[in-house]
Amino acid sequence: MIPDRIIEQGTLTTRGARAAVEVRIPWYRALPASCIAGAGLTIDGVAAPTESLRWQMNGREFTFADMVDNTDEWWFPVDSAVLSGDLDIDPDAEHEVSVDLTLYIPYIVISDSEVLHIEEHDTKTMTARQEVAA
Amino acid sequence: MTALRQAQGPGTPIQGVTLYSFTRAFHGREYDLEGLIRKVAADGYGPGLEIIGFSSFRGFPDVDDAFAGWFRDLVDEVGLVTTSLAVNADIGIHRDRLLNQDELIAYMRRQIAAAAKLGFPIARVQISIEPDSMEALAPIAEEYGVTLALEVHADQYASHPRILALRDRYEKVGSPFLGFTMDWGATVSGFAPSLIEAYRRRGASEELLGKVVDLWDEFYQQGPPADQADHGQRFGRFIGLAAQNGRPDLGIDFGINGTGLFGPARVDDWLEIMPWVKHVHGKFFGIDENGEEPSVPVRDLVKLLVENGYNGAISSEYEGWHWNHWQSPFDIIAGEQAVQRSAAENAGSRMTTDAAAARTQLAAWLPRTEGANA
Repeated sequence: MIPDRIIEQGTLTTRGARAAVEVRIPWYRALPASCIAGAGLTIDGVAAPTESLRWQMNGREFTFADMVDNTDEWWFPVDSAVLSGDLDIDPDAEHEVSVDLTLYIPYIVISDSEVLHIEEHDTKTMTARQEVAA
Repeated sequence: MTALRQAQGPGTPIQGVTLYSFTRAFHGREYDLEGLIRKVAADGYGPGLEIIGFSSFRGFPDVDDAFAGWFRDLVDEVGLVTTSLAVNADIGIHRDRLLNQDELIAYMRRQIAAAAKLGFPIARVQISIEPDSMEALAPIAEEYGVTLALEVHADQYASHPRILALRDRYEKVGSPFLGFTMDWGATVSGFAPSLIEAYRRRGASEELLGKVVDLWDEFYQQGPPADQADHGQRFGRFIGLAAQNGRPDLGIDFGINGTGLFGPARVDDWLEIMPWVKHVHGKFFGIDENGEEPSVPVRDLVKLLVENGYNGAISSEYEGWHWNHWQSPFDIIAGEQAVQRSAAENAGSRMTTDAAAARTQLAAWLPRTEGANA
């Protein structure tokens, strides 16, 4: 629906062996954490290991397993979430960032037992910024 | 019932807009909620104001007193009139199962309560709510003084079996708080030219685009799909067309838009449910160089409403924002509302554009519950 906005331009950061980027919801309405089914983070063609991925939203950090049953935290349409993973990248260099996102749309029922899910992708090029530990 | 309404004279629909029309501007942080409401008022897209709860209100459906007070004061200050709060039946909110009936009713009750607290006399609900659930929700709607208007949206249409089943249940239940929202996307007359232009910009050949238009026209000639199986077959034809013409990447997009946005029923199909139409989504996709909507028969739809005594609101619902990134939605919506006003005048009536008149008219149009929603 709004896949061109998934990756927020200029938000790539690196901290030690981890990289993070801000992401926006490609849908017009808020969705609960339970409907954020999965994501992928790839930088310069290298995908972050799935088990290293973390999702930060509303000031809290989650694994994707944490979010399966969570209907209390919502991703609001104007808020950025932060997707991070184990990727050792050069700070201050330009990188091609790709994000894949799988969302469940909880009100569009497509059979007796399931609702619509969508898979969206975005790729943008940007310079990384080094974050230092607080 | 239709004849009765005609005896009462022509309708004067209330002009309005849903903030959904401005999704890209809000999502892109060009306007926050307050800024958008002020712009809607200042630029004259009202007086009717429709909002999607889960899009615009952080923390929805929880609404605290301070926020509700701020919102109602703002709407009053700028001279708008809240019409419909669009709510959602998130039946699939749990990944592993669908909500059962009791959970669904509880989920909807919170949103209906939010509508009342925010001052919306209508809650727009969607097709995933079945007749048994609508019947169970009727006393809750009455308790809060909020009319439930289930949206009739492509790929359904007024005479679709699922909609007629709801209509028949409404008749049996007899609650004035149950009705429909008419979405003009069910009665479209052509594949939107602005979407064809968007595919062109994505490199689709003129030959393929011509075939897409022809396929949609073929379905229009056949009329709307008889059932979900027929709908699925049409979806498949669009996917096949894209694949056969070297653009399989566009197939699902053709299918979703060709069947889910551009419904091919005829305008008079709405007469099947007209007495239960409480609210209208003036769905449209663009305005051409002549100032007309090229693929939605806006003039015929407004005429139908006027002639049938419709006195509720029409929320202009611009959906071209999905693909039209090269034109301002604000100008396009102003253009569509000018067509609506002209059509109402041609039908011997007018649109209601004054806020005070709209408030009085809407109160008379919708049922009331003594003591509730005061």
